[in-house]
Amino acid sequence: MRLLLRQALLLSVKDTRLFFRDRFALGFALLFPILFIVAFSLALGDIGPEDEQLRMAVATEEEGGFSRQVIDALTATDATGVDEWDPQDAEQAVREGSLPGYVLFPADFTQRMFGGGSTVVRITDSEGGEQTVRLTGEDSGARILVVTADGDPETEAILGGLARSIAGRIGTLSLAARGVIELEGFTALDLARLGELGAAPPSIVFTTEQVGDVEPFNASNFTLPGYLTMFVFFAAALGAEAIARERQTQTLERLLANGVRRSSIVAGKMLASLYRGFLQLAFLWVLGIFAFSIDFGESPAAVIVVSVFMAVASSAFGVMLAALVHTVKSASSAAVLASLTLAPLGGCWWPLFITPDWMQALGRLTPHGWANDAFNKLMLFGAEGQDVLVNMLALALFAAGFLVIAVARFRTVSAN
Amino acid sequence: MSASPSANMGCMDEFLVATGLTKSFDGVQVVESVSFTVHAKEIFGLLGPNGAGKTTTIRMLSTVLGPDEGDVTVDGHSVGRESDAVRRLIGVCPQELALYPELSATDNLVFFGRMAGLSGKEAKERAADVLERVGLTERAKDAVRKYSGGMKRRVNIAIALMSRPRLLFLDEPTVGIDPQSRNHIFDTVLALRDEGMSVLYTTHYMEEADRLCDRIGVMDAGRIIALGTPTELKAQIGDPGATTLEEVFLSLTGRSLRD
Ligand SMILES: Nc1ncnc2c1ncn2[C@@H]1O[C@H](COP(=O)(O)OP(=O)(O)OP(=O)(O)O)[C@@H](O)[C@H]1O
Ligand SMILES: [Mg+2]
Repeated sequence: MRLLLRQALLLSVKDTRLFFRDRFALGFALLFPILFIVAFSLALGDIGPEDEQLRMAVATEEEGGFSRQVIDALTATDATGVDEWDPQDAEQAVREGSLPGYVLFPADFTQRMFGGGSTVVRITDSEGGEQTVRLTGEDSGARILVVTADGDPETEAILGGLARSIAGRIGTLSLAARGVIELEGFTALDLARLGELGAAPPSIVFTTEQVGDVEPFNASNFTLPGYLTMFVFFAAALGAEAIARERQTQTLERLLANGVRRSSIVAGKMLASLYRGFLQLAFLWVLGIFAFSIDFGESPAAVIVVSVFMAVASSAFGVMLAALVHTVKSASSAAVLASLTLAPLGGCWWPLFITPDWMQALGRLTPHGWANDAFNKLMLFGAEGQDVLVNMLALALFAAGFLVIAVARFRTVSAN
Repeated sequence: MSASPSANMGCMDEFLVATGLTKSFDGVQVVESVSFTVHAKEIFGLLGPNGAGKTTTIRMLSTVLGPDEGDVTVDGHSVGRESDAVRRLIGVCPQELALYPELSATDNLVFFGRMAGLSGKEAKERAADVLERVGLTERAKDAVRKYSGGMKRRVNIAIALMSRPRLLFLDEPTVGIDPQSRNHIFDTVLALRDEGMSVLYTTHYMEEADRLCDRIGVMDAGRIIALGTPTELKAQIGDPGATTLEEVFLSLTGRSLRD
């Protein structure tokens, strides 16, 4: 037992040293989430008209799709000043002059978004005059239209800002996804430039005034825990790649022949991943408190405990992934795929409580879902520690399950 | 400095004994009834074309992979039942560069030394010794990533020496390096043998085997098809003075391409 612990600790210390030398891994674990949180908090948090009369209208021609999620997130609380309109009604209202303008998601929005290319904002007046604001690259991706009656600059500015901030965060998202998918050539990935492109803040920043006793809605209270969860899991999943590489280069084999136990290797890898997770937690929570004024709610300790359980589950998840894949390439694909599927399912991109029941049920199949549910309860709805005990238990069970699979399937030798 | 901790080594002539080793992956037999011995203080060469099963055999000999059938003893200890005892006797230099390129040579050596049970101080001292031996003292603090191919190969071997093994496995240790580095490695291996270490050496360079190995096993398609000293093997097909091992190898394994 002492031997196992010693070996696991030595291994995890070595991995941590390597982590600090790997600029990309560091950037991915710490800077990427900030980028996302900034973009989303700008988009969601500070949207709101300065006077109560002015409300923004959004409409979508899509049945479901990604625009549905965006609109649900925007209209989840009244404080954003965003109302959803039926697209035909909105068009009619603009013609009649009763609505100054609206933001429209065209019918092919989601399809184009996943087709690659950039997200583009078009400003259209009801006469058909068009003006395109390109956020990134070529004009082949998804479009968001801003429709105004007469090209009134104030309406254009307000709606254009909303559309741009939505486009901005969608752009960030697809850029990040592409960046990660092209991991092999990641030296070419310039984080600073990526930040410029993806997180370009909207040119107009909207501010919400406090009205009476109602607290201004702070979107960071759910965007931050959401992205924290996503990126802790994402970084842990990408750790599987490093493990697969060690299998390929026969370092794990070498350790085994040196008298290192297989269980020490599994434990060491999990520990290293856990340190990284803790670093992310500390960094992002502190940043959240000081830069985004997030509120831990009634029991800050419970928020911390939930995040620790979440990090434990993530590290077991990463090692399990490494145990299931064969090659380095399949490890990175599996990591990206799993992370980008589990994050939205588990409510990292939009709060699960605004989604239909079946999506909430799906969310409960993911550790992300349980973590986010706990964070939302604690940080938005004033819940206390005992209200999220079941979430902690669920996260612990996920961790145990992942670990069982990891230990059972962990291989040190690769086929060559 | 002596690499052999034991004084009575000469008594144990057969240091490694492999009997009937068999291994298959997904129903395909990769190693089939392989038996041979490595004597104390000898360099035993395992030759064979790509995919012959050399690496798989080394994995079974070095406790990394369990054989489907057969057993191995090292200095009388069974690899299956007393793997810990065996692990204390062996050093493995894998075919791949099994090291961390971002760390320096010293850090790599100290890490693997400590994982093998050395204290921090012991590991540092031994790392310095071993680096001296492979001629890397001057670059010891640089990240291995910046080394030439030959230097990387030497670090790969150095790591295997950290535990002062009595039996060293070298799996194609000279792939893709220049003659200077190769000669340096030859000299190191010969010196280690003369100090009392047994060495199992795989390669597909025949002149290398001819120059280094005391005895040779030729492997093809998972089986040992010839066993003996280089002179004995050459005598099988002609005049040992005029024949090369390459000719022996090709006449034994055929001339068709392997992969
Ligand atoms: N873990 C594994 N799973 C499946 N097949 C394997 C595995 N390890 C080895 N093999 C297969 O077994 C065969 C023998 O491989 P091995 O690596 O032992 O050969 P080798 O003699 O070392 O070849 P080389 O000279 O190329 O290193 C190859 O066909 C290889 O693909
Ligand atoms: Mg091989």
